[in-house]
Amino acid sequence: MKVYDVVPGLEFDPEQDFAQSPAWFLDGTHSVPPWTPMFGWFWINFCRHGMQYGAEKLSLPTVKGWDWRFMNGGGYLTLLLVKTEEEKQRREVEFRKAILPFIQDYDGLWKGFVDEILGRYADLKALDLDKACNIDLLANFEETINTCRRMWEIHMYMMYGTYTAYILFENMCRELADIDDTSPDFHRLVSGFDNKVFQVDLKLWEFSERARQDGLADLFLNNNGPDLRHLLQETGNGRAFMTDFMAFMDEDGWRMQRMSEINLPTWVEDPTPALVNVQQFLQKGGGFSLSDERKKRTTERLAAEKTVMAKVPEAQRGWFEQLMRLAQKSGVFSEEHDHYLDLYTHAMMRRSTLGLGNRFVREGALNEAEDIFFLIPDEVRRAGLIPDQFDLRCIVDRRKAQWKEWHENPNPPALLKEGFDMDQAMGVLVRSNDPIALKVVVGAMPQVRPELKADLYGTCGSPGVAEGTARVIMTEDELHLVQEGDILVAASTSPSWTPIFSMIKGVVVDRGASLSHAAIVGREYGIPVVMNVFDGTAKIRSGQRIKVDANMGTVYLMND
Amino acid sequence: MATQWIYSLQELRSDHNDMVGKKCANLGEMTHMGMRVPPGFAVSVEGYELFMNQTGADAQIRQYVRKNLASLHHNVEKQVEAGRYIRRVIESKEMPEPMKADLWRHYERLCEQVDMDRMPVAVRSSGAVSMPGQMETYLNVRGRQELIEKIIKVWSSAFTTRAIAFRLEQGMAMEKAPIGVAVLKMVNARSAGVTLTVLPTNGDLSKVIVEGNWGLGESVVSGEITPDSFIVNKDNGHVASTISKKNKMVVFETGGIAFVDVPPDRQEQPCLSDIELKEIVRIAMEVENYFDAPQDMEWVLDQDLTFPENLFWVQTRPAKYSKPVADNTEYLAELMTRIFKM
Repeated sequence: MKVYDVVPGLEFDPEQDFAQSPAWFLDGTHSVPPWTPMFGWFWINFCRHGMQYGAEKLSLPTVKGWDWRFMNGGGYLTLLLVKTEEEKQRREVEFRKAILPFIQDYDGLWKGFVDEILGRYADLKALDLDKACNIDLLANFEETINTCRRMWEIHMYMMYGTYTAYILFENMCRELADIDDTSPDFHRLVSGFDNKVFQVDLKLWEFSERARQDGLADLFLNNNGPDLRHLLQETGNGRAFMTDFMAFMDEDGWRMQRMSEINLPTWVEDPTPALVNVQQFLQKGGGFSLSDERKKRTTERLAAEKTVMAKVPEAQRGWFEQLMRLAQKSGVFSEEHDHYLDLYTHAMMRRSTLGLGNRFVREGALNEAEDIFFLIPDEVRRAGLIPDQFDLRCIVDRRKAQWKEWHENPNPPALLKEGFDMDQAMGVLVRSNDPIALKVVVGAMPQVRPELKADLYGTCGSPGVAEGTARVIMTEDELHLVQEGDILVAASTSPSWTPIFSMIKGVVVDRGASLSHAAIVGREYGIPVVMNVFDGTAKIRSGQRIKVDANMGTVYLMND
Repeated sequence: MATQWIYSLQELRSDHNDMVGKKCANLGEMTHMGMRVPPGFAVSVEGYELFMNQTGADAQIRQYVRKNLASLHHNVEKQVEAGRYIRRVIESKEMPEPMKADLWRHYERLCEQVDMDRMPVAVRSSGAVSMPGQMETYLNVRGRQELIEKIIKVWSSAFTTRAIAFRLEQGMAMEKAPIGVAVLKMVNARSAGVTLTVLPTNGDLSKVIVEGNWGLGESVVSGEITPDSFIVNKDNGHVASTISKKNKMVVFETGGIAFVDVPPDRQEQPCLSDIELKEIVRIAMEVENYFDAPQDMEWVLDQDLTFPENLFWVQTRPAKYSKPVADNTEYLAELMTRIFKM
């Protein structure tokens, strides 16, 4: 039989798509390793929709969002530029009005969206998937699709608005106070704020304190992560611990082990990753206090605010301070949106699809519940209401074979039209003035300063200096290899990596800008982060001793 | 007694709101932060429930409500009657002996701690959810018997007419009251007042304002006198003070508190010394940093103790203030437009 495209209408087609744009960039942060077909379908359709929605809703003067294509499990994207000066001017007039809600009541705006989306999740979770009839089960899936679409609308509208303010603040800091986003003082200005992700980390840390008090420390320290959940059930204290821990999971554990995929369990299904975080906190010993670290950041921020405000001419301080308060929301938003939006929605997608998967298995349409990740919604609908009448296994077999192939042949970092090179492509991104391109995707280019005699040059994501053993980590699966005091070297990091930031002394990432995950979290944990070194993961070996000086944006390899 | 229903403030943090109510949880958080709060303890919501259950008051109320439920909806007179009835039921009950023993043990411990027999305490309600009423506070409560009586009174105060209407609207069980009680040593106040780490009228975050009067803080909070006012610049500590003529103050007397005249020679004297003011401002700024939000705080200076041990804090909460006029909004929108032209 004929297998459909994975993302009908949005599969990469060189002939058509190069005519539209000469350069398509792989989203390496989210689509390496390659997506399952189900997840790819959701992401390509709705991340794309969200970016265009956000840019339209705000009427961004120069861009209309991004276009996406799917190719062999990878997501490729390109900018959609506003074509004429006349249209830019028209959009500018609208933009000036559309951005006002962000300036007037940022917190209210964000809280409204959080409440809206949490309400949708609550509705989805209200259905008992095992007992539901086929009609309700399919309806739950359709509503999950709608929720994902809405999530991406909120996500990108908020992200465009928030980062626009951040970029203005950065420009004004440069103009009025002579600092930019590669300077340590700038980073101190935007850290030391509470956010939901940090609160979850804090709870994990509190659980580690409790484990110590309840005599469970040895159990945690002498066993492997995957065994913990079972071993804890064997003692009275352990059971009491797990009861409270699972209650906490049910509240805050609706997140995926992998940032952008649904084929691994959520923390609610399998709390092992969260228990390993508790274990890692225990390894740090009793003296460490996560909340004290936070207070330090806050104190440093207040000092930096004073320094910077003093440099700003008195007459400008009123609006400058208001802008600073607004820009300071960026870090909080960057972390919180992962928790409330991406990770939570993905957990809902996994929940709903597995519900259907189990039903399909029961009625003979599939062999394994997880095989549903190799279908796309149209195929799910084919068997949705009466799965006992259909056999979807042949589609799964073909797709699985394809998926395995995708893993063996990594996707190229960019698809470029003949005669067009990477430098030209980057130039287009920078000239677009697209806030997401500038602050998340591209970032500032490192300055090579031979007098510093460094081995690698990058930019400052979070200030500080550190020396230690390098640990090169390419995927989430390798996170357990990280040791206390290591310096993490990665292509980039994502929210599921956050807890290890309390163990490590520094970070080197190949790519990233001042609002990418590694920078924000590095600042909150007060460890140096050097970004945009481009070939850190290629040049640094695990176990090698390295020194990072984020203030100067340099990395030194101590021995070869 | 098996169930713990009394907690020392050291045991409490702000996330114990549901267990002991907001005021107690807040005092616990303040203690945890190292702020000096008057010695005391908290009676949990569980304490209220034990009392209601063991005395049979809850069954009696349920029965009454079952019989009258139909007529209670939208009938204010019936609600007034229900409130009276329920309060009477609660106040007529004797506290069970084991609970008395628990309570007295904590009270005696408190008396020993400050080395004073029949120490006067303030008994304040500590609601876990925002409900109308529930504002009951009894000051200068002395001795075991009166303590029990006033705690029961705080519990029964959760049944004002408005609170009953609220339960009906919310579909909440009539005999339930998520209410804790704070029992705190009465500070023998020389002066007391409030501190805000923002100017409430214009939202100026660079200043701290301290207002105080002789005696207990009630005179400042109630707004019946013009207190002394000190506006302190957070950056350089510069003080702008306005010393008012303070002719009345609140003191505690047998069985409660009273408004009395301030002795003439003290009326125009500042109610705070320079070092006391400095210490109040220093702590207020620390607390503001800790919560990362402007605070509205209440303090008391004890006349029996010496500086700095004489400074006690009884409240800190996020300050309400008018935000600076947003006339920069349009300008910022204009600036944001420009970044797309670079």
